[in-house]
Amino acid sequence: MQVSKLTEIRWHGRGGQGAVTSAELIALAAIEEGKFAQAFPSFGPERRGAPVLVFNRISESEHIRVRSAVTQPDIVVVLDPGLLGIIDVTSGLKDGGTLIVNSSKKLADIKLELGGPWRLAVVNATAIALELLKVPIVNTTMLGALVKSTDTIKLDSLLEPIKERFGKLAQRNIEACKRAYEEVSIAELIPASERIERAYVKESWPSWRELAPGSVVTEPGNARSYRTGDWRAQCPVFNHDRCIKCGICSLFCPEDCVNQNEDGYFEADLYHCKGCGICARECWTQAITMVEEIEE
Amino acid sequence: MRRVGFESSFAIAEAVKMASIDVTSAYPITPQTHIVERIAQLIADGELDAEYIPVESEHSAMSGCLGASAVGARTFTATAGQGLELMHEVLYVASSMRLPIVMSVCNRALSSPLSIWGDHSDVMAVRDTGWIQIFAENAQQAFDLTICAFRVAEDPAVLLPTMVHIDGFHLSHVIEPVLLPEVEEVNKFLPKFHPRYTLNPSSPSTMGDFATPDLYTEAKKSQDEALRNSMKVILQAWRGFGELFGRDYLPVEMYRADDADVLLLTMGSFSEVAMEAIDELREAGEKVGLVRLRLWRPFPFHEFRRAVTQAKLLIVLDRAISFGGPGPVCSEVKAALYHLKKRPQIIGFIGGLGGRDISVEGFRNMIHRGMGKAEQGKFEEFEIFGVRE
Ligand code: SF4
Ligand code: SF4
Repeated sequence: MQVSKLTEIRWHGRGGQGAVTSAELIALAAIEEGKFAQAFPSFGPERRGAPVLVFNRISESEHIRVRSAVTQPDIVVVLDPGLLGIIDVTSGLKDGGTLIVNSSKKLADIKLELGGPWRLAVVNATAIALELLKVPIVNTTMLGALVKSTDTIKLDSLLEPIKERFGKLAQRNIEACKRAYEEVSIAELIPASERIERAYVKESWPSWRELAPGSVVTEPGNARSYRTGDWRAQCPVFNHDRCIKCGICSLFCPEDCVNQNEDGYFEADLYHCKGCGICARECWTQAITMVEEIEE
Repeated sequence: MRRVGFESSFAIAEAVKMASIDVTSAYPITPQTHIVERIAQLIADGELDAEYIPVESEHSAMSGCLGASAVGARTFTATAGQGLELMHEVLYVASSMRLPIVMSVCNRALSSPLSIWGDHSDVMAVRDTGWIQIFAENAQQAFDLTICAFRVAEDPAVLLPTMVHIDGFHLSHVIEPVLLPEVEEVNKFLPKFHPRYTLNPSSPSTMGDFATPDLYTEAKKSQDEALRNSMKVILQAWRGFGELFGRDYLPVEMYRADDADVLLLTMGSFSEVAMEAIDELREAGEKVGLVRLRLWRPFPFHEFRRAVTQAKLLIVLDRAISFGGPGPVCSEVKAALYHLKKRPQIIGFIGGLGGRDISVEGFRNMIHRGMGKAEQGKFEEFEIFGVRE
């Protein structure tokens, strides 16, 4: 029996960034090429801005039966550079695999942070998307980088699925995809290189013996310790020169994280601010601007 | 102590009064109506100081009980048949939130055809809801086991809702003598309800929260352990009750079964009818006995195995049908015995559906028919007893 080659991809993005669409387009393109493919998100409640995982499996010639989450990917794609500091994106990435990152940083700098026995590809997809699509949504752009740096599918196979999905906007998305295909910089694989170990906050779960009867939560308001600030792609910046201290931003903030400081000015608590931009939109005097999160 | 003539419904209402409940949230449905009407009357007459929440459906009745129990109120309700079905999803919430609500179920058949009469279809449909489930066989037991139910349910090591099943009409509407203890004696047996976790603004907590796949399995494991471990407390409570009041209860109760080659298994009010049949057969020299399953959940595996493994044949009567499958009690019994080397052969009957009576003679015939089938090796899933061909 001939063993079919199975390629597994893990996408790291945020709710609302279109990672699910990326994976779906890859699967549709692979199916178009006569292959077998899957695309699925890690199932759960959808929250705009929250880190999400999406998966692909592509097989040359066989129906894919495995449906569990991809934990040892051949390819990892990171749509949001802000995730690099909070999530171990290279977790389980196979030796000889490929890591593709959206970042404004240089390949050599990313390599210092995320080096390992894999091929590294970097593209400034946000810049391309902002220029061509006028929005920082990089899902179609990153497809170009993926096609160039791996041999999963051909660029042409993506065109039909993109046209179908985006209709009038398809042409611009195709351009963005092609631009990333051309601009992505790829470092050659150095097989023996060391994995750079970094410390990440790990979630830990209790044993059944530790649960209170009925799983009652006895520590009210513990959602406060949940760092929703990690979900932010854009950050509100308050210009005190324009601020009239009206407090409208504070009233409208859905996270209730805008508070008045000692001088009477309003400020966002960045531990909880999700970067939704509502405060900036509601401010009478345009004292608030949303700026891209700076990569750490 | 007083000796009175009460139907089981009134006996239960009396137990609820002596348990001095704080809240009932109920919707009347035949054949349970007498229980909640009587409780409403007791409250209206000032004999019971409790809140009666009248609701528009059983779904709301159980939801009201959830809220009441969660704030730490001793909570009771009663229902039957379709009403129990309408509560179904909330039953799971009650047990999963570990709220020690006590409920009488006047067992009734399920529609359609519409039937207000008794069988165990409603019980079997809620088998897996995580409630402790106990069967009473007469009005005295209905009273006793309701008092015990509060003590078991509210025990800090248990905290699980508890159903006391009585057969619709056959118990709910039959007047018989009942011994009523003095309320002081009941108070000695049944301590006040002091839950550790309650919904209380001065010490807030969250109940019935959300669980991702990372937590749900652990939540269910802990719930299942609690139900299994409730057995210890049930045994203790019944022993304590026996010491105080002289009436003993066990998870599996036997009747003239010591040297029996053939055992019949029944639940609920039919058990006493079946005892008569056993007496007659014993007099005729037949080595037959009766097993009564008093505790349905947690299933008393240990006690059940010990009770039946010496017999050659076990005849199981189910009062519910699992369409296209085995009789629900019979299949549990088979599963409980499967891995044992020494175990009886099993013949399953389904009978007493939708209020169809089974007389003493009927039980004699059932036992003989079961023995005949076993001799002929006819071990099909079940036979519907007395169905017109
Ligand atoms: S962007 Fe503004 S409105 Fe939105 S969460 Fe942050 S502070 Fe609140
Ligand atoms: S809404 Fe604008 S002007 Fe008003 S307090 Fe907020 S930042 Fe200042």
